[in-house]
Amino acid sequence: MKITELFERGEFVVSAEVGPPKGCHAEHVIEEAKTYLSGITAVNVTDNQSSVMRLGSLAVCKALKDEGLTPIYQLTCRDRNRIALQSDLLSAAMFGIENVLALTGDHTSLGDHPQAKPVFDLDSVSLLHTIRQLEEGEDLGGNKLVGEPPKFAKGAVVSPCSDSVDAQLAKMERKVQAGAEYFQTQAVFEPEKFIRFMEKAKQFGKPVQVGIIIPKSAGMAKFMNANVAGIHVPDEMIEELKKDKEKTKAGVTGVEIAARIIKECKPYCQGVHIMALGWESKVPDLLKLAEI
Amino acid sequence: MLITQLKDKETIVSLVDGKKVFIINCQGCKEVYFPEKEAKALQDELAASGNVTGIMTTDYICNPENMELRLKTHMGEIEAADAVLVFSCGVGVQTVAAYLEDKKVYAGCDTCRLPGFQGVTPLEYDCGQCGECYLNLTGGICPITACSKSLVNGQCGGAKNGMCEVDPDMECGWERIYRRLKEIGRLDALKCPTQVRNYATDKETAGSNR
Amino acid sequence: MENYTKYKLKGRDELASLLAGTDKLFVVACNKCFKEFETVDEPDCDEFEKLVSEEGKTITGSAKVDFLCNKIQTERKLQDMIPEGTEHVYVISCGLGVQTVADMVDVPVYAAADSLNYRGHHGMALTKKSCDACAQCYLNVTGGICPIVDCSKSLVNGQCGGAKNGKCEVDADRDCAWEKIYQKLAQQGRLEEFLNQPVQMRDYSRADHKFVTEYVKSVRENRLDGYYGGVHPTERKEFTEHIPLQRFPEPETVVIPLSMHAGAPANPVVQVGDTVQVGQVIGESAGFISSPVHSSVSGTVTAIENHGHATRGECLSVVIRSDGKNTLHESVKPHKDVEDLTPDEIVDIVREAGIVGMGGAGFPTSVKLKPAKPVDTILLNGCECEPLLTADHRVLLEFADDVVYGLRAILKAVGAEKGVIVIEDNKPDAIELMKEKTAGFDNMEVVVARTKYPQGAEKMLIKRVTGRKVPSGGLPADVGCVVSNISTTKAIADAIRTGMPLIERVVTVTGEKVKNPGNYIVKIGTNTKDLIDYCGGLTQEDEVTVKAGGPMMGFVLSDLNVPIMKGSNGIIAVETDHTVEQPCIKCGRCMDVCPMELSPLYFAKYADEENWQGMKDKNVMDCIECRCCEYICSSKIPLVAKIKAGKNAVRGMK
Repeated sequence: MKITELFERGEFVVSAEVGPPKGCHAEHVIEEAKTYLSGITAVNVTDNQSSVMRLGSLAVCKALKDEGLTPIYQLTCRDRNRIALQSDLLSAAMFGIENVLALTGDHTSLGDHPQAKPVFDLDSVSLLHTIRQLEEGEDLGGNKLVGEPPKFAKGAVVSPCSDSVDAQLAKMERKVQAGAEYFQTQAVFEPEKFIRFMEKAKQFGKPVQVGIIIPKSAGMAKFMNANVAGIHVPDEMIEELKKDKEKTKAGVTGVEIAARIIKECKPYCQGVHIMALGWESKVPDLLKLAEI
Repeated sequence: MLITQLKDKETIVSLVDGKKVFIINCQGCKEVYFPEKEAKALQDELAASGNVTGIMTTDYICNPENMELRLKTHMGEIEAADAVLVFSCGVGVQTVAAYLEDKKVYAGCDTCRLPGFQGVTPLEYDCGQCGECYLNLTGGICPITACSKSLVNGQCGGAKNGMCEVDPDMECGWERIYRRLKEIGRLDALKCPTQVRNYATDKETAGSNR
Repeated sequence: MENYTKYKLKGRDELASLLAGTDKLFVVACNKCFKEFETVDEPDCDEFEKLVSEEGKTITGSAKVDFLCNKIQTERKLQDMIPEGTEHVYVISCGLGVQTVADMVDVPVYAAADSLNYRGHHGMALTKKSCDACAQCYLNVTGGICPIVDCSKSLVNGQCGGAKNGKCEVDADRDCAWEKIYQKLAQQGRLEEFLNQPVQMRDYSRADHKFVTEYVKSVRENRLDGYYGGVHPTERKEFTEHIPLQRFPEPETVVIPLSMHAGAPANPVVQVGDTVQVGQVIGESAGFISSPVHSSVSGTVTAIENHGHATRGECLSVVIRSDGKNTLHESVKPHKDVEDLTPDEIVDIVREAGIVGMGGAGFPTSVKLKPAKPVDTILLNGCECEPLLTADHRVLLEFADDVVYGLRAILKAVGAEKGVIVIEDNKPDAIELMKEKTAGFDNMEVVVARTKYPQGAEKMLIKRVTGRKVPSGGLPADVGCVVSNISTTKAIADAIRTGMPLIERVVTVTGEKVKNPGNYIVKIGTNTKDLIDYCGGLTQEDEVTVKAGGPMMGFVLSDLNVPIMKGSNGIIAVETDHTVEQPCIKCGRCMDVCPMELSPLYFAKYADEENWQGMKDKNVMDCIECRCCEYICSSKIPLVAKIKAGKNAVRGMK
């Protein structure tokens, strides 16, 4: 199922993401997804997230699909040139994977193989363009594809709380031009910033899923503030996480915060995307509390 | 422009271990960069072992004619050596290796490049010689070199406080581009069609050294 | 010659669509670099202008600029060139030039050209060898053939299966690099070595962006420190900087040239057979710009004849055989203290003592001390920016009080408010000592300058210290300055305090080919060969070049039988360099290092074409002959000789 169909029907679309392990055994990830995420619309599978080498996104997408879930295939431009990217897209289509999220990808220097050659032959925009071209039955080299072309729901990302929000909006517009049909955002902790962003973003007429991370601790929040682009956890939220250590450790505080953010953002967006970062088990509680 | 950095001592020592060596230093680009003091300290150490037959410090060994003229006055020392150790950029080492065909010619340096082609003063901005200039779309700031990922369609999500994810001391290239376009009233440039880079080397524009 | 030109005009269609949205354009074209240097204009600019008019757009003006990416020079050139009403600027250059201009002007800047996407970077000579600057040189495992540039896949572990008849699968005209590498290794018996090495894996993190950015910043600061241009030759002052001054033994005979200064040679006032004494005038000043000459020994005049001369080939000289007694002439007696002398009296003393600039130029100091314009600052040049030389350094250390005394005399003679002693940071001991010695004087200051050649040149020194720029053809006094050399200043002190005219000086005898280098107090007229012999002689007979002066501005001595003169700050013996002049490749280095901000490459070109008007137009007369351009020239063009020829011709044009 393409998640764009749900947006078209006006549904509030919920997705979450899982990260493949460093190794060739995906049973645990799949079990978690089945247990906690089967109630939601779709599951993103990250692509060597943070430039750390892991099991492939495509393989895990296929495994999830076999278990009856709807995977969203994340595809970055860091590790593959246009030949490999197109080939992998065709492979995904063969497996019946219908949702793709196109990203540029973190730089290699940030991951666990800093010696690697960063590829970036294409970027997120030109990757979307490439997908659209494949859908029209032609590859980027202008050659005809054999048989029925693939068809994907083409997603992209945007960072609404970035300190360069104007530049982000410009990029978002280019992604729309290149064929992006929906957006998932970087994690939002400042709903007011998100709302302001959405006021400008709605001109593009594309559905946006607000990105949510369940904050696990004050330390995690501070770490993200210092190191993760486009994320700022406000001080009062950090205080809230500090107040009752036991409650925070149990995940209750984080879920409360996340649910609050979802509720505040919900009227302005078309869905939510949860990056549980290992706390997949909390997702059902979160959705319940957020009344979704 | 090309500059050189010394290979680590271990590597150099293992290259010439037990061999008699003749050493060439090329300081033609010293005004840009040459690890003069470090190279001298290392060579003094090698010489102390008694295995150095001679040291020639000169410039522009990349120029075959003049390199030949200068090497000729040291031919005795070169013949007495098992290997020639060259402290220069990769072009210099190749020029010496091509001339001294039968000698083992080793590189004592690794070569990196600094932005700027001519002169001796490197530049704060760079040209990636991509063959399809994007500066018209970016207000004259090069996305190939000012962006760590050489993105040509806009900013990635990695910028934090306007700084690049790769180096927090480097301003995000696309942040700068956006600001410049705004300043000169050319934000419309961002509405151009999706850019896909062309890496073909047989492009019409390809240089003559192919 | 390979042509490494870096850009090509964009296609007509692309340009037409660019032009569609613009009008009232100014066009800037770069004259290209790394190519055969021709003085005819590049065609791109005209071609573009033609297209512009065909598209019905107006051009407000255009400029063709050398080395457009040279930000400082370009800024100066474009300053007043872009007319009011220009709405867009089109730049025909590589990406560097476009960015330079885009950084400089407020209106939108467009690139009318694409940079060429060739692979690999050349060195300085335009050969086929190139380097990808991968920061992990593989030449040690490939017999000196680059697998990164020469193999189209940049393979580092051996040949792929694509080679056919020894040619690359990508281009049948191109040799397979790994075929060549294999043959070379086989020929050198290194196959075993190749086979036994560990698997090679490229490391893309080695090309360290942070290192590059920080380094670029530091080089730019260093290069632009104080004044534009300049170079940093290896100093090699360690041979002699710590060796105290020694008095050179009494020469048996001295040969004193009547011309050791700028201007008219002195007229001899002694005759063969005359007995002379130390300090006695033997040659009289022959005009306003001239200087008297004194005997440095007591003895008998044995000849007045033409004799070998370090800078002029031959010169009328007075030959005196010393009686070894050093009897002082009656005129040698102390003057009043500087406090009690009038400015004019000081100038007279300096004139009569035959004091001239002892840095080499030999301009009569008394003339400098009567500037035509008001002067507020005296600069004492303690830079000694020439590599190898340490004479002034030793004078600062061993005659610090005399130097301060001399500065007081100059300040008084000129009526200046402030005296600044400028010392390069490679002489920390001299800096410390002079700071201590000047501490008691409110009108004196020690300025420490970062070492850069030719800092000691008057115009650079003034710019570095005061920020003032001596106008083209002007003198330091035009910007309120007088510059004096350290040894000269010490000579002024001697003339006042002891009455001794300029008959001896400190000379550094050094260079890797001198057996026992040192700093000597030497009588004017002493034979250079005696001096070298006293230092143990040369380490070898052939492949040695001896120069009077430093390695940069010194004069090559083909014959050592020449006397030490007032301006002889050093005698150096260095390894002979063998090069032949190669064609100019427009690398732009001479323009980057010229402290006078000239374009030396044109001087070489025009001198060969005997285009003296062209040389004049490029301001050849502003050249200070510091030799930075020749030092940096990657084609080893003897630029200074060509410049001198040009200056002579331009002087003759009047």
